[in-house]
Order: sequence, then C-alpha cells, then structure tokens
Amino acid sequence: MSARGVVLAGVGGQGVVLASAVLAEAALQSGFEVKQSEVHGMAQRGGAVVSHIRYGDTVASPIVPLATADVLAGFEWAEALRWLPYLAPGGALVVDARRIVPPGACRDHRRWGVPYPPLDPTSIAGRTGAVVLIDATGIAGTLGNVKAANSVVMGAVSRFLDLSDAAWEKAIARFVPPRTVDLNIEAFHAGQQAETLDPADIPELGLDPLPERHYHIDVNEAWCKDCGICPSICPEFCLALDDAHRLVVVDEEACTGCRLCEVLCPDFAIRIVTPVGAQGGAR
Amino acid sequence: MTIVDIRPHLREWAMPHVLCAGCAHGIVGRAFLVATDRAGIDPDRMVVVAGIGCSSRLVGYLDFCTLHATHGRAPAFATGVKLARPELTVAVFSGDGDGLAIGGNHLIHAARRNIDLTVVLFNNEIYGMTGGQVAPTTQRGAIASTTPRGNTEPAFDSVALMIGAGASFVARASASEPFTLERIFTEALTHRGFAFVEVLSDCPTYFGRYNRLGDGPEMLAWLTRQDSRVAEPLAAKRVVDHLPIPEAPPGLDLGVLHREERPVFTGRRSG
Ligand SMILES: Cc1ncc(C[n+]2csc(CCOP(=O)(O)OP(=O)(O)O)c2C)c(N)n1
Ligand code: SF4
Ligand code: SF4
Ligand code: SF4
Ligand SMILES: [Mg+2]
Repeated sequence: MSARGVVLAGVGGQGVVLASAVLAEAALQSGFEVKQSEVHGMAQRGGAVVSHIRYGDTVASPIVPLATADVLAGFEWAEALRWLPYLAPGGALVVDARRIVPPGACRDHRRWGVPYPPLDPTSIAGRTGAVVLIDATGIAGTLGNVKAANSVVMGAVSRFLDLSDAAWEKAIARFVPPRTVDLNIEAFHAGQQAETLDPADIPELGLDPLPERHYHIDVNEAWCKDCGICPSICPEFCLALDDAHRLVVVDEEACTGCRLCEVLCPDFAIRIVTPVGAQGGAR
Repeated sequence: MTIVDIRPHLREWAMPHVLCAGCAHGIVGRAFLVATDRAGIDPDRMVVVAGIGCSSRLVGYLDFCTLHATHGRAPAFATGVKLARPELTVAVFSGDGDGLAIGGNHLIHAARRNIDLTVVLFNNEIYGMTGGQVAPTTQRGAIASTTPRGNTEPAFDSVALMIGAGASFVARASASEPFTLERIFTEALTHRGFAFVEVLSDCPTYFGRYNRLGDGPEMLAWLTRQDSRVAEPLAAKRVVDHLPIPEAPPGLDLGVLHREERPVFTGRRSG
C-alpha cells in the first residue's frame, strides 16, 4: 500500500498532539510503518498546532507533501482552512465547527486586523472531497467532558481510514489519561456516527466589529529628548526617529491606545488622549 | 483601572528635567506619581525627601512637598519629618550610591525602627551624577570609571540587607515594567511601617556606555533580562571577558519579597 497521509490541525490545548499519537499507534497496531511529525506554534497563547502522520508498508518521510493528504482534520474552523493546501484533490475534510478566534483577528489592531473567516463550507467548494462538519466539542460536552472533542474528531476521521476499531480503541486506551479511557472510546464512536451539520444551523460568531477609536498621541516636544524608547516599544510602529534622530509620529491612525509609550517615556513627554466615551474617558 | 494623568503632579515650570535622554529614572518617577494618585494621597500631604544623585534629583519635579537633603541622609531627614508630622505620607528617593554607600547607616537604622516611610532605591549599579564611579551595587566584572578593568568586588543585595535590618515591606521591581512598578509603589505607600522598594533602573550615559549595553531602549531590554524569571543569565550579557566571573549571577527575584506586621516606630513610648 502506498503511504497514506493525514494532517491534524488545531490550536494549543485542544489535544491535537495526543490525537496524532493515537492515530500513529492505531496504525502501528495494524502493522504499518508510521512516521509522525508535529509543530507546536505558541501553544501557550492558543497558537497553531499541526501534526503530520504518514503510514503504509514503507514510509520515507514524516512530512505530508502539499496536496496529498487523504484526510485533513481541523479541530477548529480557521485552522482547518489554514492547512487546506495539504489536502489531496478529493481528500476528506473533517472539521469541528468550534471557532477559536486568534488574538490578531479580533483585537483592536488597526493595520492588520483580520476578520475571522465565515464558517461556510461553500466558501471552500471544489477544494475538498467529502466535508464532515461536526459539533465535536458539543458532542464531547454531552458525553461529559469537552476535552474529549479530539476523540470525537478522530472518530469522524476513522471513517476515511482503513484501521480497525480494535486498533483505535487500543491506541486510545494507551494514550489518554486512565480515568478517561471509557469516555474517550465513547466519544470516538460518537464521532464515527456524528451527523454533518447544516451550516445554516451554526450560530453567528457575534464578534464585535473593530471598535472605531482614534487616539491622539500627544507629544510634548519641549520635553522629549528623542531618546528612542517609545519608537522601540510601540507595537504598532506609530512612532519613529527621523534621519535627524528626532521623534516623529508617523502613523497616529494605527495607535491602539496601549499606552506603553506613555508609561515608558522617561521624560513625561508623551500622553495618549483617549477618545470621548471610551474606557477611561477623554482627557 | 483608571488612567492617571500625571502632569498635574509635575512642576511643569521646571520641566524638561535634567536627566539624560533615555535614563530610566524618569519612568520610575512617573510610576510613583501614578501610585500616589491610586493610593488616594493628597498631594499637599505627600512629602518626598531625597539625597543627592540623578535619581534623587527627580524630586525637584514632583509637585509635592519635597526636600532635597544631603548625600545619603534622606532617611534621617524623612525620619524627622515623619516624627514631627505623623499625618503626612513620607517617602524617600535615593540612588544606590546615595542609599547604600554614603547613606547605608541611615537606611538600615530607619528600617530597624520600622518607621512609616516608603523608600525608593534607584539601582543603576553606578554613581551616575558624578561620572560613573563604581557603586556597592555594581556587579562583579562590570566596568565603571573607577574600575576600568572590571569590578572585582561582589555587589550588595539590598533586598536581603533590608529584610535583615527589619524593614516590614521589601520589594524589588524594574523600570522596564512600569505597570508592575505602579502596583508595587501603591502597595508600599499604603503599607504601615518601613517599606523599601529597590528599582532596577539604568544609566545609559555611563554604565551603558562603559559596558557597551546600548542606549535607553537597549538598556530597558537589558533590565528585563536581569529578572530571574527570564532565562538569560546576567553574566551572558557582560562584555568583560578578561575577568573570570566565578559563577553567573542567577538573576534577581522581583516582586514583593517580604511583608510582615511589626510595631511601627512613632517616637512615643506607646503606639
Ligand atoms: C558628602 C558628599 N559626598 C560626595 C558627593 C558627590 N556625589 C554626588 S551624587 C553622588 C553619587 C550618586 O550616585 P547614586 O546615588 O547612585 O545616584 P545616581 O546618580 O546613580 O542616580 C556622589 C558621590 C556629594 N554630593 N556629597
Ligand atoms: S499607545 Fe503608544 S505605544 Fe501604544 S500603539 Fe499608541 S503610540 Fe504605540
Ligand atoms: S520616550 Fe519620551 S523622550 Fe524618548 S523619544 Fe519618546 S517621547 Fe521622546
Ligand atoms: S548620568 Fe546616568 S543616571 Fe544620571 S541622568 Fe544620565 S543616564 Fe541617568
Ligand atoms: Mg546610581
């Protein structure tokens, strides 16, 4: 058998790494050669986590080449979209309808605020084979623990892989915490049976639009010594030193009002004027 | 938490202040002003006493009742103020040279008495005002104008000293973390008894230049790395390679490091 490739993607804390260990073990139990590789991106901050698993009679590389994955399992909608290029034409997309909005998509970043993509499988029509959109987190919650959502997803993934239930169950029992084995096996079977959601039934995310706030960066030029501290710490690059090494406000529009410049200026020379009605009030 | 505008607490007519561009002392002064506001202290009942040094010089810009005293003797002056007018809130601004070298005795005895003062000790590891001489806080190996080939003496741990002397509130904070500074100063100002806060500050003009640590922005980053919670050990950044440093300094513990309830000295037989 030529090697099969599976990509699992989610965010930190969702159990992606554990799920990939379970899949690798199930494939080993079934007598295949298995290679696995994972990347934890800023898991502490909920950043992207992705794992590649390849198994077959012989497997050379642990990395699933672009556009060859048989299954892409997304533990979160936007992460599934991010890894879509790895899916083979006609490959199956299994995805939890859960949405975890990354900080960059919702914070008051003016310049690079990116909206969270709409949860709408029609937006990726033609780029996948079967799409299994399930409420894995909801199902796991009904069973008693939302943390078992990863097992629900793997149950849905198992529909597209040629591994026996016995192999999966053994693998789950080996990797999940001992007291949660039964729960996870139950979650796995629930995932095998889970119905594909109608996107129309999925509630809107209800994210507030980016707040329309404009901060005024009030620099007291008579006090500023052009020390360079505020340009070096402004996260939005609103401030800079010009060629003459003088402080200039280059992009007031991008200011998010974080006030780092204000509290780190040793010369009391900078103050952020908050818009009327916003938190803290005008001043 | 409400945003405090500190400009009303400044003597604007005296500004801009005399400290060098990028010197972190001003960041500390600003956080202190925010803390007095948060602690609800009436500016007319706030007294700040300072010794001599760039850090001490800051009191000239604070619109409180301020007293610029003699080198190292600020705790003694402050003791007098507090005993005569116990209803006032009294704080001391002092440098590492001011408070730990020439003024070491005054500092430890004020702590021993547990008199109700808040002492802010600006530690920039050097005598900034007088041109960068070695201080009792200069780390081994560091260069100062009087130790051009690197300091051979160990440095004071002022936090251990103050706990030993009897201070009932002891904290260490860094100028690179102004929001934490604001919080710790607020706690120190509301503590009843002797409160001591060592603040890791900097001196880009001398210490930074001698030790090739960069200007204000780079030195702020360097301050963050002294925090023991930050992995990189202090020694790794030292440029002195000809002096054997026996062991890398482990970094400094930050936060409120000691707090106790102890009878407060009021000068009276009881109370
Ligand atoms: C009795 C006396 N001795 C010496 C001096 C010279 N002097 C002025 S400031 C200073 C050291 C200040 O260092 P520090 O307290 O660390 O303050 P910094 O300037 O570093 O903030 C010295 C020795 C003096 N003013 N008075
Ligand atoms: S408040 Fe200051 S540091 Fe923050 S984004 Fe605005 S200019 Fe930059
Ligand atoms: S931190 Fe203050 S003194 Fe330094 S460049 Fe910015 S405004 Fe000027
Ligand atoms: S000499 Fe050093 S301590 Fe004094 S103001 Fe300049 S940078 Fe700050
Ligand atoms: Mg000093």
